[in-house]
Amino acid sequence: MIPRRLTFTRVRLAASLLLLGALSACVGAAREPVDSLSGLNDDETLVVGRIEIVPPLRKDEQKLKGLGTGNFENKVFLLTDDHYRVLTEEPVMADYAGRIEAILGKNFFVRSNSKPYFILGGMMYLDLGGREMNRAYFPGGLKASLKPGDKAVYVGAVQYHRNEFFEITKATIVDDYDRTNAEFKKKFGTKIPLRKALLTPVK
Amino acid sequence: MKHRIWLVLGLITLGLLAGCASSGPERDINDPTNSLVFGYVDMDDAPTGVASAWITQVAPPSDTPYWGLGVSKGLFYNSYLPPGSYQLSKLGGSGFFAGQHEYAFPKQGNKTSLRITKPGIYFLGSYKYKKVKSGMFSQAKFAIEKINKPTEAELLKRILDESDNIKDSAWGNKIRARLAQLKS
Repeated sequence: MIPRRLTFTRVRLAASLLLLGALSACVGAAREPVDSLSGLNDDETLVVGRIEIVPPLRKDEQKLKGLGTGNFENKVFLLTDDHYRVLTEEPVMADYAGRIEAILGKNFFVRSNSKPYFILGGMMYLDLGGREMNRAYFPGGLKASLKPGDKAVYVGAVQYHRNEFFEITKATIVDDYDRTNAEFKKKFGTKIPLRKALLTPVK
Repeated sequence: MKHRIWLVLGLITLGLLAGCASSGPERDINDPTNSLVFGYVDMDDAPTGVASAWITQVAPPSDTPYWGLGVSKGLFYNSYLPPGSYQLSKLGGSGFFAGQHEYAFPKQGNKTSLRITKPGIYFLGSYKYKKVKSGMFSQAKFAIEKINKPTEAELLKRILDESDNIKDSAWGNKIRARLAQLKS
């Protein structure tokens, strides 16, 4: 879990807008969603997975107000890096480069280089807009074991269990390969298989 | 001109009342399912003092989750919270030079999270405001640090002394019983 040293914030509209703008534009690019396997280069892999929150978000539990904030609805920013490291502070903008933008409960299909990488943690906005900015963080410490030559890899569904205070009480990797593979085949055809390589905790 | 002075005085009085009494959803103060929730924050190092405070009901889900707290010199309290899960969510204050300030607590990692399963007296703790360095273009950040003083007993005595409404309600005896328990 990312430590929350700062528990008391004075919200500034300008600061919220800066961060919002930054995540929308200035921060390093997210891993790009893929619609067709033909768009992948030889050294690239399609990574497929899903993020879930248990219990799921209730209606109106995420409060997004104002221009552009709709992009963040049900979205978790998964922070990744080729090198394993532990986030000891709240993530800075540089940590968001190469992120996976996952919609809760839906499979993501993103472009990646064909090297292993690590999920350092995650973040989602609970309140954003007006004078509000409230974020929830998710623990990382997971490894995606990609290999050179992989064209499409399923990494599993990460289930974050939480209590009413949004504290993450448990994180599990769920194997939902059959359902995901069916969606994969429908989307990309049957020519290239989806290899299963579930995320593993970093030891 | 005279009207304007009254208007200003009226607004000041309204502000003071808002600072002293709880607001938001209300219940009968003698409802047996009520809980008294209270705490303290020392804002000496903050840009402003505290004039308003809110606690949010995070469970069970509610259309009116924000409960106002009575505020008096750092002490904050509500004497009619039903069972549920709560977190201190916001403090507000203003100063002549500092202007209007709002101090928002995060939902996740909130040190004041509280689960009320049975009616009673719940002390959220005493805290001190602490400024945390942040970049010029980043959010102003603060922390609250737990402190030992004022104690639960000192704050309960203040509630009895400062609120006739509470002293004369069913809470009067309950608070005195709690004070006796804390003494022993």
